Amino acid sequence: MADQHGSSATESTESSGSGSAGVPVSRGLFLQLLTATISFVIVAVPAALGGLFFLDPLLRKKSGASGSSGGAAKKDDEGFIRLDVTADVIPADGLPVAVTVRDDSEDAWNKFTDVPVGSIWLRKGAEGVISAFNSVCPHLGCSVNYRRSENDFYCPCHTSAFSLDGTKMNEVPPRDMDSLEVSLRTEGKADPAGLEIWVKFQNFQRGKAEKKPL
Amino acid sequence: MKSLLNWLNDRTGYRELMHEALYERVPGGARWRYVWGSTLVFVFVVQMITGLMLWTAYAPSTRTAWESVFYIQHEMYLGNIVRGIHHFSAQAMVVLMAIHLVQVVIDGAYKAPREINFWLGIVLMQIVLGLSLTGYLLPWDQKGYYATQVTTNIMSATPAVGEQVQLLAQGGKEYGHLTLTRFFAMHAGILPAMLIGFLALHIYAFRRHGLTVHEPKHAPDTTFWPDQVLRDAVACLAVLAVVLLLAIFKGAELSAPADPSVKFDAARPEWYFLFLFRFLKFHAVESLGLTMAALVIPGIVMGIITIMPLTAKFLGNAGHTFNKGFMWLLTLGIVALTGLAFYEDATNEAHQAALAEAHRDAERARELSSGPNRIPVEGAVSLLRQDPFTQGPRLFAQHCASCHRYNGHDGRGMLVTETVGKGAEAKVVTAAPTALDLAGFGNRAWMKAVVVDYSNHFAPLKNAQWHKDAKAKAEAGEAVTFLDPDSSEMADWSGNADALKAPENESAVNALVEFLVAEAGHSGVETDAALIEKGRAIAVDGTWGNALDGTSCASCHDTIGQDFTVVADADVQSTYPTLAKYGSQAWLKDFIRHPDAKRHYGEKNQMPAYSEKQLSETELNLLVRWLTGDYAPTTVPDYPTQM
Repeated sequence: MADQHGSSATESTESSGSGSAGVPVSRGLFLQLLTATISFVIVAVPAALGGLFFLDPLLRKKSGASGSSGGAAKKDDEGFIRLDVTADVIPADGLPVAVTVRDDSEDAWNKFTDVPVGSIWLRKGAEGVISAFNSVCPHLGCSVNYRRSENDFYCPCHTSAFSLDGTKMNEVPPRDMDSLEVSLRTEGKADPAGLEIWVKFQNFQRGKAEKKPL
Repeated sequence: MKSLLNWLNDRTGYRELMHEALYERVPGGARWRYVWGSTLVFVFVVQMITGLMLWTAYAPSTRTAWESVFYIQHEMYLGNIVRGIHHFSAQAMVVLMAIHLVQVVIDGAYKAPREINFWLGIVLMQIVLGLSLTGYLLPWDQKGYYATQVTTNIMSATPAVGEQVQLLAQGGKEYGHLTLTRFFAMHAGILPAMLIGFLALHIYAFRRHGLTVHEPKHAPDTTFWPDQVLRDAVACLAVLAVVLLLAIFKGAELSAPADPSVKFDAARPEWYFLFLFRFLKFHAVESLGLTMAALVIPGIVMGIITIMPLTAKFLGNAGHTFNKGFMWLLTLGIVALTGLAFYEDATNEAHQAALAEAHRDAERARELSSGPNRIPVEGAVSLLRQDPFTQGPRLFAQHCASCHRYNGHDGRGMLVTETVGKGAEAKVVTAAPTALDLAGFGNRAWMKAVVVDYSNHFAPLKNAQWHKDAKAKAEAGEAVTFLDPDSSEMADWSGNADALKAPENESAVNALVEFLVAEAGHSGVETDAALIEKGRAIAVDGTWGNALDGTSCASCHDTIGQDFTVVADADVQSTYPTLAKYGSQAWLKDFIRHPDAKRHYGEKNQMPAYSEKQLSETELNLLVRWLTGDYAPTTVPDYPTQM
């Protein structure tokens, strides 16, 4: 058989296919195991390294996105952000107003300075106390709107409804609207009669009964 | 378990498939020389794995490509390793492919009945080279940008359709977002899909005709599994080990972000294309024109390789001998040209300086991008453009280095040279500076030298032709006014070595220097407030506390200690240069713009005034901020001095 495989260009093609070699020669188990092991290792190593790389968001210690690290002039150490709107322009009759919150924001390799990072509802309650709600629905993250006809907050995605003080009105959302800490100040110093509105803006995990910051 | 496998086999027939795949006959026994094809398949699998993973983090656009690769390389978990594996595996693939080709030709494996498979291999080779080319641009760094520019410009030299081909490849007339998206689609989609298709055909055809047996009687016949698989696996393991070691200890380079406005003198193709690069530089080759040299000649070589099966068929053994000879010659030529290119680059000072600068820029880009402000939306390229540490040396080399030096070089690590002699006698020598070395401008040593060692500190001026001319005139008895470091009032004062360098005045001189350093106010320089006040009193009032009392700087330089203001020539009383905030940014900017103003050197001035036409306000700011140390702190080493 071996003689047929000379160096001539007319070498036969019959050696291809499975049959001609017949029953596989039984070799030492060690040899087979060694071969299998090395074959496994050479694929497993790059696959494992690639897999770990893919798991970066779970494995990396340094937090990437979402953490805004100061820089904006209108943010204090506790995370309160000064809004552009002032206390005197919030309607006294309790009508909610939507306000955009601006902050520095990091996204992977980029840092954006003073960009809109979210939207909140502001409302003057009884005795003129201002309350703030994150406009993201605690159910699954759509946005909650003010519904004039019912005078309530309403999310059109899955019909979550909340009263104007943020209490959930049906069983769709797992919890009340996410209220945010508000602080009235004058030139940055706490002052119950101040006109500056400072809000500790946060986003919270959605779909859970517990209100947990992201 | 067994019944499950039986069921699986019944439905899929996997056993027959496995049997066919694993128990192929290997006549003459397993050989190390058969491993190359397998290693190529293996490296391709590694490239698929690492490439897909890198894809999860790569963002192809001119404002995010470098940035995302930076993020992969320096911030993501194992990112440098995964990118390193991809980077070095790509090179391994080209090397293995070359070995595979040479092996196939030498063993005659291209001959009938394997012609088709040989041609499939040639197609695969083009695809792999296409992958190399497209992948090189994706990081959008200076290195990849300029190397790929050369390639696409060569493309445009294709007769008749060149420009259209270039437009299609680039997605537009110039490189931009679409160049990256198109290259990325080619690199990660189209070319890999083609490669998989042709690889399947290649392996199918290989199995159909079987191994080209080198020596049938070398050893008893065996089967692919496990004998040959073991050798293949060990070879793959070796390749993987080399790639991993390179990835860990060398790492894939990421040079500075691509900037079409910044010259990149270190541009080179990836090393396995260096032979072609070097080939194109031969004078005889250059004179053939780009189309001929870069397209036709490589095309002819490729053509000769492609028709090898036909050569062997029609010319028989003579054809095979020719093919082998051609392959050896080509290999020899490529190795020689590659070696020559490496050798020339290693011994070329200008290229080494350019490499050092490329390295400096890369490190600085990484440093700035890792900073607390991250990368602005305009991209990392803007970080370098606005960085005095990066731009200062370039501006200095361009505008200042014909007279001044910086640590003995031109700011960018190159010695300033001039040609002396004429004709055959001409030789290039290091040019003597004709103005001060500005490294250390305004620091303590500088200020102290101005005060106590004026003649030596300003000695480089004596190399200038204007000085020699003026000196000659003065010696001939003509009345000339010029700045002479050897004999001026300042030289006389500073030359008063006995008094100024006497131990009793040491603390006073130190205080004076401290005051001058504080007036210059360079960034990051700590000063001693009490010492400054003492120095100020000496400078302004001359309170030396001994025989020197009353000898103050202010008696000539009347504005010392004051804020720097631009005083019009007509209003300047003093005939001495102003030392108001001497060495500060305000002083330096005004000095560069108007050295000939009466508040500075007046009619004694020899330095050209740099108006906004020569040096824009932005450039002036970058230059002055660099000279006064006003930039984000760095650990990047400065330019080495080429000696």
